[in-house]
This record gives sequence, structure tokens and C-alpha cells, in this order.
Amino acid sequence: MEDIIHNSNESAAEPEQSEVSAKPAEAVQPVKKKHTVNQQKLQDNLWGWIFCLPLIIGTVWFVYYAFILALMLSFTAYDTSAGSLMDAITNFKFHPEGAFYWYKELFTYVSGTSNKHEIVDLPNGGTLDLRMNEMGRYLFNTVFYMIGIPIGMVLAVFFAVCMSRDIKGGNLFRVLYYIPCVASSIAIVYTFKIMFRSNGVMNSILGLTTFKYPATGGYGGKTGFIWISEDTNVGASWNDVFGVDKVNAFMYDPFWCQGLLSKAVIIIMSVWKGLGGTIILYVAGLSGVNAATKEAAQIDGANGWQIFWKVTMPDLYPVIFYNIVTSVIGGLQIYAEPELLLSNSSSSSGFPTVSGYVALIYRYGINQGYYSKGAAYGMFLAVIIFVLTLFQFWLDSRRSD
Amino acid sequence: MAEKEIVKNEDLNKPAEAPLPGSSTPAELRAYYSPLRYAWGALLAFFGISSKTHRASKKRAKLVQDIATYLVLLFGSFLMVYPFWWMIAGSFAATAASNEFIYDLVWWPSHDVLHSTNAQGEVYGLFYNYHYFLVDAFDSLINQGTINVTFWRALINNLIYSIVPVVIGVITSASAAFSFAKIQWIGRNVVFMFLLAAIMVPGPSIMITQFVMYSELKWQENGLVLIIPGMFGSIMTAFFIRQFLFGLPTSIIEAAKIDGAGYFRIFCQFILPLAMPALMAQGLLSFMGCWNNYMGSYIMIPKDSPAINLPHALYMLTVSGSTALQDNLGPQIAASVLCVLPVIILFACFQKLIIGSLMLTGSKE
Repeated sequence: MEDIIHNSNESAAEPEQSEVSAKPAEAVQPVKKKHTVNQQKLQDNLWGWIFCLPLIIGTVWFVYYAFILALMLSFTAYDTSAGSLMDAITNFKFHPEGAFYWYKELFTYVSGTSNKHEIVDLPNGGTLDLRMNEMGRYLFNTVFYMIGIPIGMVLAVFFAVCMSRDIKGGNLFRVLYYIPCVASSIAIVYTFKIMFRSNGVMNSILGLTTFKYPATGGYGGKTGFIWISEDTNVGASWNDVFGVDKVNAFMYDPFWCQGLLSKAVIIIMSVWKGLGGTIILYVAGLSGVNAATKEAAQIDGANGWQIFWKVTMPDLYPVIFYNIVTSVIGGLQIYAEPELLLSNSSSSSGFPTVSGYVALIYRYGINQGYYSKGAAYGMFLAVIIFVLTLFQFWLDSRRSD
Repeated sequence: MAEKEIVKNEDLNKPAEAPLPGSSTPAELRAYYSPLRYAWGALLAFFGISSKTHRASKKRAKLVQDIATYLVLLFGSFLMVYPFWWMIAGSFAATAASNEFIYDLVWWPSHDVLHSTNAQGEVYGLFYNYHYFLVDAFDSLINQGTINVTFWRALINNLIYSIVPVVIGVITSASAAFSFAKIQWIGRNVVFMFLLAAIMVPGPSIMITQFVMYSELKWQENGLVLIIPGMFGSIMTAFFIRQFLFGLPTSIIEAAKIDGAGYFRIFCQFILPLAMPALMAQGLLSFMGCWNNYMGSYIMIPKDSPAINLPHALYMLTVSGSTALQDNLGPQIAASVLCVLPVIILFACFQKLIIGSLMLTGSKE
């Protein structure tokens, strides 16, 4: 490489000198210059496009084309039995029951016939009214998991402040905390699934392995506290645990309680897995905090708590807001964790008590082959995420100012 | 404003009501405060906290704070790392149907567990779980016809899916980044915004049409679905490499241009070597993402195809009937270890590069 730089310096000087010595400068230069500029511009435009071409093709083909197709399909009745994708576009026909049929279905569909709400059968013979339609319930689950975002944020700020102190080995801690982020989510879900078994490590730590459910309750006298179960009435088990007939109405309410403990496991898991990444984000944000300001505040007699809130945090707020918005966008797309945590058979697709919204897209679009329905469900998610992303871009532009 | 500030300063300088530890002798302080308060102050000072009776030295305060920080961080890192150790220790522990080792915290595979025997009287070896997962579990599912890969095939698939698209994808991303950062061409900013806007499109909402597109292209059975789209590069990678290229001096490129080197040569001989740290960091991050890409394989590739990747194979093994791993937790943990260990080793080797890149770009993944 040194050779090239060396050569380029030499040869760069050469042609100019030879031109100047050979011809009168004022006659030749304007024409020559114009020519080279044009040549250069042509080169710039040509190579600029060529270098970009793969990325442009990839983005247009796999993102924009797919998106426009999904938007079009969401108004049609296209499914596995229909012809090829090209047919569907060239012979574009709206859904026979109205262009917005799937969107209407999205907001009204309940499994079962004459119900207004989604009703789930329980294994002990009863039924459970979920008080929403199917989409509402799945969206509720998705939003419920976002409880983990503020928890993770507080923990991350705490650890990031600890790590940015002037101590030896701060880098090592950063690496250790980031390990869960690089690990495969399927392996982590299986590990948590085993740790949270009724005879697992978690119950062993909490002393709940010998916990015995009453024989009459939903769990029929099982031993060991049960965290992960999609199909048993957890509302009833609160009653069992606390041994009273009328627990707090909220606690007893199946709408909140169904799958609550499984959700708690998923929240713990996602906080644990995401913490390292957030910490790194915040440590990077904290490194911008002015040390001189801190020292000045110290000399003025501010204590550590005041310095934290008045000096450190204001610099961190933009990073925290940015992180919250990206976490919400990521959280809306949660799919694999609840499915993996509860799946015991390969045929399972979606659990009304724990699954995220994306499970519906997968179930209708891919598992059952109603492509149009899946696409419409996806478009609804896209609209929510568009709004959030625009909000994030706005935050970004404010941060860079 | 100025007047107000002066008043404020006067407030700060007002003498405290109680005698300050600095200005009074110990005897005075002892006379002023009750003995209990005085002792309490001494105790606080020992732990680096100043009070009205005692002023702790800065050195002591820092020492105590450092120790507290270390304790907190060590406890946190224990919580972060212990599940992985639990996986590794557990994967060497033999499991009968009773899964005894699960009952407690595992610090080390215990002697009893290592030498226990199964129902047929065979002694479990150290690698019993790994053997069961690698051979028996796969064999039984292949015989059932549920899956069509051996462990080694799934591993090789995973390696192909996480090396080929990542290497080519990072180069195409870098070329786009070079074009955006260092070449002036008409429509550059418009195209860049156009590509950046693609980030707004969430993956799940175009999952369905991508599925149909790939199935019509016949990319699913043979696994091309996890290779070809990645080769076109990713806009986020291009964005971060572009940020890095802004930091490189344009004069080098100008010099090479005057020399007569074309853009292609400049890209290959200057940009790629100079941007290597950024390329490596982005490449490693996408490698880890592709290695763990359970969703892509699960959604796009049929489960009985020989092209499924390792996480997908692990999923199939755990959900497909009791003959496999479903009730056999030891092999399940061994399988998880095999899934997790390669990326953790890779991360350990390149942690400085990866963490540095993450700090620089301010992104999480």
C-alpha cells in the first residue's frame, strides 16, 4: 500500500509539469479542465450507482416489493389454493366481501361462533372469557411484555453508572454482561424453561419445590410451584396459593391472571437477555458526560445523588428515550420466546394467553395459508411501527442537533 | 441575575449551625454531640461517609465506594453468567427419567451423577448427554421421518448460512457505504433516504409475501432463502460503515484518483483494508445474528427439508414426541450448549472489537 501512495504522489505531479512546459497555459487549460471535470462527473455518477446497486436491488426486491405486495394482497382473497403471485397481481381483484374484509375481521374475529369475546376452554372443564376479540388479546399480551422495558432501563442505568466509575476491570464487566445478548434465544428459552420447572432451580432457590396445591383446585394436588403452563386456570391457583375464597378482585380476575406467571418468566428472561446491550448504550452515553461539570458540581458541594440527577441524567435522557422507542418497536415484534417457552408439540401455533401479536400473522398467513389475512394482520402492525419509527427519527434528529 | 447569584453564593458560604469537624477540635465536638452520635459518626467515617462529627478522608470514601461497586457488579455478573455455567455443568450431569440434578443449584457435575447408571445398568459417561443428543435423538427422529438432517448436516448448514451471506453481504454493504460517503453522484441523498426508510418496514409484516416469493422462487427446500437475500447487504450495516468512512481522509482517495486509479481499485485497495475494523465488527455481529437465526429457518424452511439450521433442528428435537429430547432434559441442555458455545467463544475472542463498535455506533445489536 505504501508503494501505491508513493507512486501516486509522483505521478500526480508529473503530467501537470509536462503540460505546462509543452504548451501555452492560457490557451489549453480551460478546455482541458472542462473535459476532465465532465469525465470525472461521469465516473462519479457511474461508479456511485454501481457500488450502490446490490443494496438497492436487495432493498427494493426483498423489502419494498414485498411490502407493496403485502399491501395489495391484504385487500384480496389470495390463499394457498389461488394461483401464482404474478397472477394475483395481474388479475387483481378485491375480496368478494369487500376490500376491507380482512381488516374488519382483524377487529372483530373471535374463535367460536356466537360469542362476542374470545373464550378459551380450560382443561378442567370450565371456560374462560377473555373479554376481547382474538387480536385484542394477542396485542394485550404483546403490550404486557413491555413491562420489562422500564425494569431493564432502571437496571441498565444503575449498572452503567457503576461501570463508568473509574475502576479497574470495567471492560471485563461490560463483556460479561453482554454475553446473554449474543447467545441463541432458543437455547436460552430452553434453559429458562428447565430452570423454572416445578422441580427446577428457581423453585429450589425460592423453597417452592415442596409446595403442594390443594386437590380440589385447578392443579389437582400437584407438588411444586408451577410457573409455565398455558392451559391451566392460574386465576384459580392464586386462590389455592393464598388459601382464601375471595382474593382481591384484580388478583382473581382471569383476564389478568391467565398465563401471568409464564409472562413473568418471559419478562425476566427478556430483561436478563437485553440488559447487556442497553448497558453498553448507556455507558457510551455516559462517556459523553462532562467530567469538568461533575467536578465543578462537587466543589460547589453537591452530593452524589444531586450530581446523578442534575449532571449525569440530563446527558443520558436522549439515549434513554431513544432506547425506549427502539425497545417498544422491537417488543411489538416479539414472537419466538412465548412460542418456544410453551410449545410441547410441533403443531402448536399461538397461545391466546401468552403469545405475541406476530403469532397471529404466522398462524393465519403461513400455518393456515390464508396469505391475504396474514398480510392484512401484518399491515396493521406496520402502521403502528411506522408511527413509532417516525417518532424515533424525530428524536434522532433532535439528538444530533 | 447577577445579584441573585451573589445571594446564592452567600447562602452556600453561611456557617453551619453545628461546629464543622474541620474547624473544631475533637474535644469540642465530643462535648457538643452525644457520645452515641459521636460513635455513629466515627462508624460512618470508617465506611467513607462524612457526617457532622467526623469527616471521612477522600481516599477512604473512594475505597469504600469502589468496593461497593465491585460487589454490585460481581453480583450482577454472577446473575448474567451463572445460567451459562449451569447449562455447561448440567450438560455433563447424567439424567435418568427423574432428572434429579435439576432440583438444585449446580456448581459442578457431581461424582454421584457422573457414575450413576441407567435402567439397563450402563454407566453414564461424562459425555452421555452429548452422545444422546448427537446420535440417538437425531437417529430416532430421522427414523420417524420427522426430520431429514443429521447433527453434522445441520451444523454445516448453519455455518454456510452464517458465513456466505455475511461475508458477501458485508462487502456489498461496504461498497454502498463507500458510494454514499465518498463519491458525489446525482441523487445520492435521495437514494440514501429511500434505502434508510426501509428500516421502518417491520419484518413480520412482510413475512407472508416473502414466504410466497421464496416458495415461488424454489429457495425454501434448498435453503437458498437464508443465503441469497443476505448477500445483497443490509442497510443498517451500510449505515454504520458509512459513518466510519466519514472519518477517513478524502485526500487519500483524491490522490489515488489523480494517479489514475479507478473507483473499483480504490475500493479494493484502500477502502476495504482501511475500514477493516468496522467491517469485522459488523460482520461478526451479523454472523452471530445468522448463527442464532431460528426464526428464519423455522418460518421459511420446511421442517423435513435437509436444509434446516441448527436451532431449528434443536427445536424439532424438543417438540417431536417423547422419543427425542422432550422429557430428557440433560440432552436438551447439551444441545443448548452446542448452540450457544460457538458464538460465546467467538465473542470472547473479538470482544474488544465488538464492544468498541457497539459503543461507537450507539446501537444495541
